[in-house]
Amino acid sequence: MENLKYNYYDILEVSHHCPQHEVTGAYERAKATYSGENPAIYTIFTEEEARELLKLVEEAYLVLGNKTLRSLYDEKLSQAGIKLGDLSYESLKLQSQITLPEKPKPSTKIEYRLDEKFEDDIKNQDDWNGDFIKKVREYKKIPLERMSEITKISAYYINAIEKNDGGSLPAPVFVRGYVGQVAKVLGLDEKKVCDSYMKGFKATLGK
Amino acid sequence: MSQLWVVGAGKGGIGKTFVSSSLGITLSKLNFKVLIVDFDMSGANLHTTFGLKLSDKNLRMFFDDGRPMEELIQATEIPKVSYLQGFWDSWAPSDVSIEDTQKIVAACRKLNYDYVLFDLGAGPLLSYLELFTQADEKILISDSEPTSVEKTYRFLESFICYKLRESSTTESYQKLQATLRAYRSSDHKGYFSFRSYLKESVGFSFDYFEQLNQRPVRLLVNSCRCRQDQDLGHSIKSVCHKYYDLRLDYVGAIDFDNAVWQSVKSREPMLIEKPFTPLAGQFLSVCKQLTNTNSTANLYRAAV
Repeated sequence: MENLKYNYYDILEVSHHCPQHEVTGAYERAKATYSGENPAIYTIFTEEEARELLKLVEEAYLVLGNKTLRSLYDEKLSQAGIKLGDLSYESLKLQSQITLPEKPKPSTKIEYRLDEKFEDDIKNQDDWNGDFIKKVREYKKIPLERMSEITKISAYYINAIEKNDGGSLPAPVFVRGYVGQVAKVLGLDEKKVCDSYMKGFKATLGK
Repeated sequence: MSQLWVVGAGKGGIGKTFVSSSLGITLSKLNFKVLIVDFDMSGANLHTTFGLKLSDKNLRMFFDDGRPMEELIQATEIPKVSYLQGFWDSWAPSDVSIEDTQKIVAACRKLNYDYVLFDLGAGPLLSYLELFTQADEKILISDSEPTSVEKTYRFLESFICYKLRESSTTESYQKLQATLRAYRSSDHKGYFSFRSYLKESVGFSFDYFEQLNQRPVRLLVNSCRCRQDQDLGHSIKSVCHKYYDLRLDYVGAIDFDNAVWQSVKSREPMLIEKPFTPLAGQFLSVCKQLTNTNSTANLYRAAV
């Protein structure tokens, strides 16, 4: 296709350094120009030609409208001897997947020293209150802030749970959810911990 | 030495005279001394928009009797705006030869004005095209109707061809015309780019296209009634870029306003009779862009 001698910037009529929002503006303008019955293309482009141009405009925006693909395209453009035909949307998309492998997520596991005696204590614990949850958390070397980050529960509530401070906590239904989350992170039996904790929690509220 | 601005259009009745008189008045508000020349071959009517009576001093005396231009210039009621009346006593078909056009351009450049505005008639007459090539600013008016957009393209085509004819051999010019005709009649697929055609073919001087990129034709869309009409200028610009590979500069849109026809009826310039319409601001921004008094706007334009 002879039109590939133009690059995407020429098609959208923007400069190579223009900010992203201008690309979008230019795309919207070009789309309005070459689709529908715009009087500006009258007697210059046939309907078929306009449709072809519109296709090019859409393809140009697929690349330039996407920051990753745009920077990849810029990089390729500056290389000598590259043919514009090799820089279609499809090929760029493929290349972007090659150059950008998925980053491994930072693991949530934190190293702690196994203490067999304490492990036994955890197994045999029947009365789960805040103090013991705090002990387990400290044993597993998870700071309060980290716990809050993992569970997305405010550190203020986690602190209140550990202090058995019913006055600072919301309605029981929420507290149960919070405790369940914390127990899950600590690798405990969620149901057992929740049931036990909520019994004590409701007792402090006098219900 | 005065700057020459030429206001032309492909189609009649879309407000060339209104735009040129308004640009003149706006320039005078920016403290420039302005002369407006009525160069409409089909009959003068600039004096009507200014509410002035026909006078026997007119352009014909400059051409036929060789009277100096200074004697023919008349004042208007607006300070710093003068005007030169066009033909009205021509009982013969009138066209001005290219030599005469060059004569009036030279005379106008010598005058002690900041800006000389030429109000042309409709269509690509030879003398209009010659003025267009000589001008410092080429202002092309269109409105949003397909008829006038179509004629705007025809005007641009004849302007470019006129210019090319001067700097080409007869043979290569005929070849160009044949190619253009083939594209028009859809024998050829694809787009006709003047730029690549001229690069590839021999017998043309290519410099003028580069000059046109430096000082592009300015496009003004008159009587816009909606957002789509305002955006039409961008579309025309884009089409010119894609089809002819020609750079146009879209200087702005002028809104439709009932005040315009009302002021024509009352024979007083609209910007004087109703100075607080949005149109006044639109003309001001166009003039500021073109006179470079607004440096921030120019910086912005340069960045874009």
